[in-house]
Amino acid sequence: MVNRKLQSVAALESYRAKIAESQKNEYPVIYVCGGTPCLAKGSSAVAEAFKKEIESQGLACKIELRHKVTGCQGFCSKGPVVSFGNDIVYLEVKPEHVPEIIEKTVKNGQVIESLGYKDPQTKKRSASFQGIPFYAHQKGMILKGLREIDPFEIDDYIARGGYASLAKAFSIDPDKIIDMITESGLRGRGGGGFPAGTKWRSCRAIDSEVRYVLCNGDEGDPGAFMDRSIMEGNPHAVIEGMIVGAWAVGAHHGYAYIRDEYPLAVKVMKKAVEDATAMGLLGKNILGTGFDFDIKITRGGGAFVCGESSALMRSIEGKVGEPRAKYIRSVEKGLYDLPTVLNNVETWANVPLIINNGPQWYRETGTEGSPGTKVFSLAGKAVNTGLVEVPMGTTIRELVEKVGGGIRSGRMFKAVQTGGPSGGCIPESLADLPIDFDSLSKAGSMMGSGGIIVMDEATCMVDVAKYFISFLAEESCGKCTPCRDGLPRMKQILTDITEGRGKEGDIELLEELCDVLSYGALCGLGSSAPNPVLSTIKYFREEYEAHIRDRRCPAGVCRNLVTFHIDADACTGCTLCAKQCPQACITGERKKAHVIDQSRCIKCGVCRDVCKFDAVRVE
Amino acid sequence: MEKITIKINGKDIEAVKDQSVLEVARENGFAIPALCFHPEIETRAGSCRVCLVEVSQNGRTRLVTSCNYPVRKGLEVRTDTDLVRRIRKGVVELLLSRTPDSPVIQKLARENGIEKSRFFVDEGEHYRNRCIACSLCTQVCEEVVGVSAISMLDRGRDKAPGTPYLKPSQVCIGCGACAYACPTDAISMIDEGEVRKIWGREFKMVTCSVCGKPYIPEAQVDWIVKTTGKDRSFFDKCPDHR
Repeated sequence: MVNRKLQSVAALESYRAKIAESQKNEYPVIYVCGGTPCLAKGSSAVAEAFKKEIESQGLACKIELRHKVTGCQGFCSKGPVVSFGNDIVYLEVKPEHVPEIIEKTVKNGQVIESLGYKDPQTKKRSASFQGIPFYAHQKGMILKGLREIDPFEIDDYIARGGYASLAKAFSIDPDKIIDMITESGLRGRGGGGFPAGTKWRSCRAIDSEVRYVLCNGDEGDPGAFMDRSIMEGNPHAVIEGMIVGAWAVGAHHGYAYIRDEYPLAVKVMKKAVEDATAMGLLGKNILGTGFDFDIKITRGGGAFVCGESSALMRSIEGKVGEPRAKYIRSVEKGLYDLPTVLNNVETWANVPLIINNGPQWYRETGTEGSPGTKVFSLAGKAVNTGLVEVPMGTTIRELVEKVGGGIRSGRMFKAVQTGGPSGGCIPESLADLPIDFDSLSKAGSMMGSGGIIVMDEATCMVDVAKYFISFLAEESCGKCTPCRDGLPRMKQILTDITEGRGKEGDIELLEELCDVLSYGALCGLGSSAPNPVLSTIKYFREEYEAHIRDRRCPAGVCRNLVTFHIDADACTGCTLCAKQCPQACITGERKKAHVIDQSRCIKCGVCRDVCKFDAVRVE
Repeated sequence: MEKITIKINGKDIEAVKDQSVLEVARENGFAIPALCFHPEIETRAGSCRVCLVEVSQNGRTRLVTSCNYPVRKGLEVRTDTDLVRRIRKGVVELLLSRTPDSPVIQKLARENGIEKSRFFVDEGEHYRNRCIACSLCTQVCEEVVGVSAISMLDRGRDKAPGTPYLKPSQVCIGCGACAYACPTDAISMIDEGEVRKIWGREFKMVTCSVCGKPYIPEAQVDWIVKTTGKDRSFFDKCPDHR
């Protein structure tokens, strides 16, 4: 094997210049999204079709395709996404579109509007990042790399300025690096929002020969996929951030803890670590500076709780992933009881940006208390869903209505759930709240790692609380009493309420239990577990009361509390519901109003979903 | 040993740095209830949450478990505030709903003003014994005995101590230290004649040559001889007749 080790910072720069030269192209580069959602929608076939078409036309030497499969390009609900490095982006691309794209867009620079985004209201089409609201309102500081880089190619990363911050960092005193991170105001993207600079400084200050730098890639919140996408799409940004962090705190060993349910992320990160090591960017004597640092990949054991810092460290040690009391913090006694800095994937990916551009530049984006951007996985009932990045301080409404394009099927926007199971629900009435660490906490939710679930009027908030509490009861490690025994009790009370067995006093009992968890639980997961319940009681108390007092579910979700019937005036007798009903309990003559046999109805809601005339009513 | 002064319920108390709040408090006559605390065990899992106290340090006040909170300079502890009582009561009520027939938990509940748990009592498999999943038994087995025959299995409310795959353990020496340490008497250990039954295994007992009473499992004698080098004949007589 050829020795590719870069012996110095100068060698890195000349290598960069060489690759950049070789990547110059006559034609625009074709970026086919290789994020997990697009792969599921067939982007591999699209990439294959491009390869074949380029070969058959003899264009291979002129187009840098290389199966140029990138990381997630964001617009997951409209995948497969194909873009061109300039402003053009096509959605829902199929292999049969490929010859036309090569002919028109690649060879002649023409835009094929029909492959662009169709605005549901104006019906206008646009195939430009600037013209598509989903993209136009974003700021892609972190995600830009995902859209342009082939994650399996370290050269691709280096060509686009990769590892420049590392080269720069080696010329700066470690304490000054920590000053830069502190001045930038970077806060932990994993949920807590703890200032990264403060954490690094505390770790550096501990007298110890060995320190560790860890990356938390155990993203477990339902509906969250930011960290997965970053690891899959731009692994070297994470690795570069970790090396800079290691240089700053004086660590020589690092671990990236990645959940095992993310096989692609594990594969990409492993390859990236191998490549960086082969290039002399990891390992002994990095870039000839005499600094040593290595990264090992640890696959998670499959428990949600292992995303909690002390449980994660136990898991790396090969022990059962259980949190411990953190009265002595992990910067002092972390992995193997040695000083440890643990930051999440997205936090590490921010570090190279800060070192390259300076803390002042970083502070220009975001808010005073929460600078920079935040990557969110926008999911739920919004028209457009996917991976998005907006400046901190963007309001919930901007995110849902502009980026997300509002609510699907014309329903009303009811609430957003932020922060995963430990987060809370924020009602539409507070949607003008800016999204930053402090505002969300004040509203009873939290930033969490960045999951945003949009809810419409057909969402029952008691049912939502029950969902999250059930999830947490299932994932509780069982070490401490409040979490282990409190969550199943909360789940039982919520189940009773949603099934029509709610009693007066249940809300107060829930609130009492929430206090026992908030104050009494051992780790952050237990103490934040009440948030879904407390926030829904705070903002939607009347919904709880309707379930308990009137045995009624206002959103029409809780089966035991609703009946479906057909409005005879609105029904056109199209027979669609009767055909779809799994119980075959809807009867009626063609072109005459239909009737549901209540004794056999299982309240599955299929009739309501298929009715084109809004004639099925839920009460 | 660095001596420091802390405050407990307003009183100045002298303590050694990094001692636990619980030990300092108890040594000085302040009562703090606890289930999973054992002075011989270093792990201090802080799992039962009964020993909660309120501490203030560096301008921050919060509830912590006193069994594993280290005393440092300037610490102020309050063992009996409204918040402490309220949250402890909640914890004990949850324990009572888990193990309603445990006399230890029943007594603790009465002391905290609880007549009956308001929570639904789980009649399923989890209600099979008095275990509060505090893991003290596994710590004794690992730290004190040194065999690690049992560990905590499963998670959430299914969490319980057990041998690997719930099969009779080959490393268990039948010493019963786990059963003696258990705060709620949840571990079944039955001595019948010359046989002890524990963790699904039967152990043959050594009989005292003086009184004829079976008093120690042979496997435990083997273990002690092996780890300490003590002469086997030492175990011919029970402690009462040595």
